[in-house]
Parts: sequence; C-alpha cells; structure tokens
Amino acid sequence: MILAQTIVTYIYYIITAIIGITLLKKFFKREKRQGLVYDLVYAYCLVPFILRLLQIK
Amino acid sequence: MSNHQATAQPSKLLQKIIILAVVAVLAAIGGISFRNQRLFKETVVSSDALTETRWLSDYLPSLKGTYSDTPIFVYDSGVEGGSVLYMGGTHPYEPACSLSAFIMMENIKVEKGRVFIIPQASYSATTSGILGNAYPVSFDIKTDWGKSTFKIGDRVTNPLDQWPDSFTYIHYPSGQSQAYQDLRNLNRCYPGRPDGTLTERVAFAVMELIRSEKIDMSIDAHEASLMYPVVGTYVAHDRAMDIAMMAAMDLSATTFDMKIEQSPGSLKGFTHREWGDYSDTLAVLMETPEPFIDRIVGPLTEDLMTEGKDLFLSFAGDKGLTFVPYSLETGWPMRTRVGRHLSGAAKVVEYMGMFFPEKQVIATWPSYKELQELDCGHFLHDPATADPDLVFKI
Repeated sequence: MILAQTIVTYIYYIITAIIGITLLKKFFKREKRQGLVYDLVYAYCLVPFILRLLQIK
Repeated sequence: MSNHQATAQPSKLLQKIIILAVVAVLAAIGGISFRNQRLFKETVVSSDALTETRWLSDYLPSLKGTYSDTPIFVYDSGVEGGSVLYMGGTHPYEPACSLSAFIMMENIKVEKGRVFIIPQASYSATTSGILGNAYPVSFDIKTDWGKSTFKIGDRVTNPLDQWPDSFTYIHYPSGQSQAYQDLRNLNRCYPGRPDGTLTERVAFAVMELIRSEKIDMSIDAHEASLMYPVVGTYVAHDRAMDIAMMAAMDLSATTFDMKIEQSPGSLKGFTHREWGDYSDTLAVLMETPEPFIDRIVGPLTEDLMTEGKDLFLSFAGDKGLTFVPYSLETGWPMRTRVGRHLSGAAKVVEYMGMFFPEKQVIATWPSYKELQELDCGHFLHDPATADPDLVFKI
C-alpha cells in the first residue's frame, strides 16, 4: 500500500508539472485573451504549481 | 508586417518577462517564509531526570527519515511502578499542548515508575499552517533569560508529506466513512496500520509504543474552541472513566472547573476510543479552551494566541453561547491553558495510583497554581547555560 501511495503521489507531481508547463507556455504564446490582465493572471496561477514542484508549499 | 507590429512584439515580450520576474520575486518571498516554517525547530531543555531519548521510528522503521518521525523522551525512575504517556502536538494549531509537554519535560521529577513524553506527536503538521487561515507562524514566551519561540502549526499532516487526499476517508479497520481531510488528521487515524498512509503509520507507531512499553495511562492533550461543547473536559475511555471522573470532581472542587465525558463507541479513530480498544492502556483526552480557533474571533494575532482576548467572542460569552465562561478581562491566557493541562494530567495519574496501586507513578511537574502565579516563561530554562546533553532542538 505504501508503494501504491508513492506511485499516486508521483503521478500527482507529474500532473502538477504538466499543468505548470502548460501555463508557462500559454503565458508566452496564446491566441485569445492577450491583454495585460491575462498575463498577470497566468503568472499568478503559476506560483502554487512552482512552489509545490519545489516541495516548498 | 507593419512597422508598428514589428516594434510591438519585442515590447510585449519584455512586458511578459518583467511580469514573470515580479511574480518570481513575490513567490520567492512567500517561498522563503514557507521554507523557514518547514525547517523551524523549537528548543527544549530537559530536566536531568531524562534517561533516554527514542524516536517514533523505533516502533515503526518506515517512519525513519520522514517528517513524521518525532522524538520520545523517557523519564524512568528505576523504581518499579506504572507507566504514563503524555502526548502533545496531535494538532499543532493547539500549541498549549506542546508547550505543556515542554514545561513538563523541563521540570519533571520521577520517583516511581516511568513517564514517556511526546511533545510533537504530529510533527509534519507543525511544519505548515492551515490553508486559508492567515495567522502567525509562531509565538513568543517571555522568560527570565529572554524569550523562547514556539510554532503554531496546522491541524493535519502537511500536504507535502501526504498527498493527494482521497475523495472520501474510510477509517481502518472500522470501515466508517469520515470527512476526506481527516485522512491527514492523526486523531482520526488510530489504531493505524503499518502499511497505511503516513498519518496512519504515525498512529500505528504510537499504538506500538503503548503496547510494547505496556503504558498504563495514556494522556492526549488538545485545545478546543469555546463554542465546542467538549471544551474544558476530560474525554475518557470506558475503562478510564472512574479515574477521570474522580479527577474531574477533585479539580472542580479545588482548582478549576473540569467536565468529563465518556468516549462514544461510534467515534472511530480518536485516541480516547482506539487507544483503549486496541491496548490495555487507560486512555484520557483533555481539552482546554483556545479562543484562537473559535470561528467568530477577529484578527488571528500572536496576542490572541497568548492572551486569548477577543471582543467578538466576549459578545458570545455575554449571551451564554460559549461552553466555558468567557470575559474580555481575563480571556484564556496561555498560562491558564498550559496549567490546566499540567494539573489535569497530574490528577489522573494520581488517581490511577489510588485505583490501581500496582500501577502507581509518582512524578511531579509545575501545577496550575504555579503557572497562574509565575507564568510559563518562569519554567523554561536557558539553553545557553544548560547542560548541552539536555538541550534539544526539535
């Protein structure tokens, strides 16, 4: 069971990384919603993913 | 491409880089704060009655190297008698419990039997705060030699150590469905299992300590909001009811009001239920009043934690909505809450010796009255002048 939990946790971190990379990609290149406010929202949303990937929060 | 578009693209990229840099700085500032909280250690100077230091991983090796491994301090008189476990820090956002354990450790004298103290039972939960609750990461206690700093942690295991949560929590072994977040709540995970989640493994290791050391009485210290009925109360397992009842009556007659409740059979995963059901120990849980965790209070400041004074709560107190008396003049200061735990524990240990002479433990530590008179800081010793072998950063 400990192994199963470890695998689930790793999968969770992989999902976190995928979402984080997608947000970063969309921050630089997207077709719709290109205003400054959306840049701020994308950048802001990145923070928890980075902190989690770095095992900080 | 027009000239206008050609100049707009680089400036847009520059704008994005500047935004990213600013957000990175803000994330770093927040991250450093979170990291410091994760790594902060409390300092305790044990009394010279200390005979041994163990770790929870001694009872379940898979905890070794995790943030849930926590020290156990053993005070063995060398005289045959009973044994007592005092546990603080099940819920680290109830810090009078850990502080009472620290003050007990710093001043304890044992004449008969053995005393085991776990000051930070849910160590992982001490390394973060409650999500969405803005409150200080620590509070200071003034001492005769300066100040000592203590953590205000979370209620549950840090998500960095156990994640993700499942959609529902099925308690083992009862199969009872509980709130999903209680999968990380140590006081819902007993008796635990050796191959379970990290929190279940901590619970199992505590059970193993109780079983293998044949602990006669186990005391779990908590704090409760004043609008929660089980505040200022002993909650005792069936077999510990007589002892807790006598202790509550004695304390209420001589020192402070103390209520008593029998552990409901249907409340699964709690110390007062599972410790007693899955071992021979006499299990008692204690709750002191902690205004800081009441839902209706104002700003969650360090003063509110140490003095327990809140205007909004006083309105509720005036209308009789709190389950212990509350006034803005007295509040519920740390010295009162810590003192209640110390005398509450001493009283059930005393009565255990009366009910079961073969299990008698004779141990002393500061009392409620001493705490009221001299405050917490008086009983904390200066690590700079103490014997280095008795100084622990945990």
